[in-house]
Amino acid sequence: MREVTRALVGPVWRTMPWRALAAAGVLGLLTAAVPAVAGAEPDPWQTLLLLRGVALIGALGLGFLLDDPARHLTAPVPARRLLRQALRVGLVAPLAALWWTAALLLAPSASRPPAGDITLEAVVVGVLALAGAALAVRLTDEARPGPFVAAFLLLTAVLAPLLAPEDWALFVQPDDPRWSTAHDRWAVLAVVVAAAGVLCGPEPVGRGRRRAAKARRAGGPP
Amino acid sequence: MSAVLEETPVPVSAPVRDGGTRAVLALARFEARRLLTSVPVVLAFAVYVAWIVWHTQNSWDGYPALQDVDRETQTMPTLVGLAVLVYANSAVLRSGRRGTESHFATLVMPPWRRTVAHVLSLVPAALLIAVCVAGQFAREAFKPGAVGHGSPAELAVGPLCVLLFGAAGVLLGRVVRSALAAPLLVVLLLFTAAFSAAPGVTDATSWLAPFVVEQSGPTLPSDLLGRPAAWHALYLAGVVLCVAFAAVLLAGGRTMTVRAGVVLSLALAVTGGVLQAGGAEASPELTAARERALVRPELTCVQRDGSTYCAFPEWEPRIDTWARTVDEVRSLAGGSAHERPLVVRQRVDATFGLAGDAAVPPSTEADRVTVGTVWGGNRVPEFSSAVAAVLVAGSEEAGGELCDGRMVTLMWLSLSWQDDPMNALSRVRLDDSVAGSATVLSPTNPMTMTEGQTDVVRHLLEKPLPGTGDRVKAHWAELTEPGVTTARAAELLGVAAPEKADSCER
Repeated sequence: MREVTRALVGPVWRTMPWRALAAAGVLGLLTAAVPAVAGAEPDPWQTLLLLRGVALIGALGLGFLLDDPARHLTAPVPARRLLRQALRVGLVAPLAALWWTAALLLAPSASRPPAGDITLEAVVVGVLALAGAALAVRLTDEARPGPFVAAFLLLTAVLAPLLAPEDWALFVQPDDPRWSTAHDRWAVLAVVVAAAGVLCGPEPVGRGRRRAAKARRAGGPP
Repeated sequence: MSAVLEETPVPVSAPVRDGGTRAVLALARFEARRLLTSVPVVLAFAVYVAWIVWHTQNSWDGYPALQDVDRETQTMPTLVGLAVLVYANSAVLRSGRRGTESHFATLVMPPWRRTVAHVLSLVPAALLIAVCVAGQFAREAFKPGAVGHGSPAELAVGPLCVLLFGAAGVLLGRVVRSALAAPLLVVLLLFTAAFSAAPGVTDATSWLAPFVVEQSGPTLPSDLLGRPAAWHALYLAGVVLCVAFAAVLLAGGRTMTVRAGVVLSLALAVTGGVLQAGGAEASPELTAARERALVRPELTCVQRDGSTYCAFPEWEPRIDTWARTVDEVRSLAGGSAHERPLVVRQRVDATFGLAGDAAVPPSTEADRVTVGTVWGGNRVPEFSSAVAAVLVAGSEEAGGELCDGRMVTLMWLSLSWQDDPMNALSRVRLDDSVAGSATVLSPTNPMTMTEGQTDVVRHLLEKPLPGTGDRVKAHWAELTEPGVTTARAAELLGVAAPEKADSCER
């Protein structure tokens, strides 16, 4: 197991969608640096919005992480899909952490929301992107579900603040008394979403009645 | 042995001319169907329609002014527009993603014709938005309390925005062949929207945005709005066409028509942009008309039950509603006030257009009541308080300076006839309270209630209407005499006197 993992690191590293990740990373850092470059002193709500937007940009990049053009070739290999996906996440996680730290440092420090809490929000949206990608991989035969995940993530980002009940208070300002309880909820959300993502990881064992029927119709082996 | 061909086959010289157009239309139909059934667009449409249904139920308190409603239809189509942008972009990139680009290369349809089809596939979505916008507007327009006129140019902005977003998605797909580009563009657009949402004076540059809503300002008569709506629609149409033609040009459509289209649509957009910039600043005539609206507006006057009602022509249908309120308040008053003819005049501060939010100064003339341009909800008890103030104190200005027991009579006249007087009391007060001292809103300057007066009014509103009504009529002269104390008023009306003496906190 350990040897397989070690052997896989190199190939997985090479097949990661680096261009999407780099594009999102650069754009995110540029966005975070806008106030510093422009010499503006934004209000706390503006910095909060800025950092949430930067987190969303990063998550859009992460949505492409599980894109694997070789997916149909690697389906029957002994190293399981969950392992390969976990390896991808594990390889990108330190970079993502570094990137987020840089974004936090670039954002105007005077009006920055509590770093731990905003990081938690960023983790949730990142994990949501990964779980969405895992779900898309699990439910469809699509080799590159990235665009769908990005669309889903954007839709969630636009609709969640509009439609989430006011009582949940997920999108509050730092001076709101509900800020800390809201972040307890964010933590719960992170765990739930991550668990859902992990559950989507394994390759389905039985081919499933529907898929088998589809394959028969297509003339392939059952 | 040699076979001789009796007829030489005629070589097919060129594809049938019309074939290209038909193929483009067929592809456009196919793409339109995929666009309208894709998950993000369907979800966005569902949310949009649900919002229309939910919003129009109680919007404007049932008394919409249609020149405000048309602007209200402009924001939400953006949601669908963003979904269309993302999907149109991914549709353009689909052949590259699936590796079918080389298959298409063997077809008669060159890439630029496929781009034309992608652009055309946006039209049904825009038409659907137009239907939704029309539905929202019609639902407001058919409310019995609707007044004013909508502007077709303002209503066209929603569908044009969706076309613009979709065309931008197609263009982006032709410029950057990456599936990540469109989502990132959407995030940047959201950023721009969030950070430029700060309300302020709109100038020529702010009109370059797809839509300029200016929703927070006062409701004005249509001819005082001063929005270059028609030029803006022209500008938007120009930009949409320009983006669409640019996408076709970038896809390799170097024909004369496309080149001419780019130039002409650019000219259209620039013309619209320049003319709307000219219209964004108020012209001298408009400024003069706006100033006149406050000082001596051109109103239409109508007589109802001895009173005169003067309104801007667009608000004439609302006069009967005002007259009912005036009659209710007057029927509760005693003495000469019971039959006193009032002059209700509509006034609005339009000096700064939609950016202004100044209060209208109270009228100094006797028996003259001011009514604003908005009605329904809190505006009803506010107007009713102004009517009561004029009946009790003589004029609006005198009503604003009341600081004695007359305030009790005033508030009782204003509120007791309403469906839920206690609720109306809380709504007419600035802090929505029914205890303690507070500011009472009116169409002009606010009035003040002390804690004692509030207690007495609350007790009065809890008692049955006819008994108190008889007392008010019987003691009208004393109740409306300047200097009467709140304790005396309470005694005359048969409720407990307040613990605290009158002291106006000013």
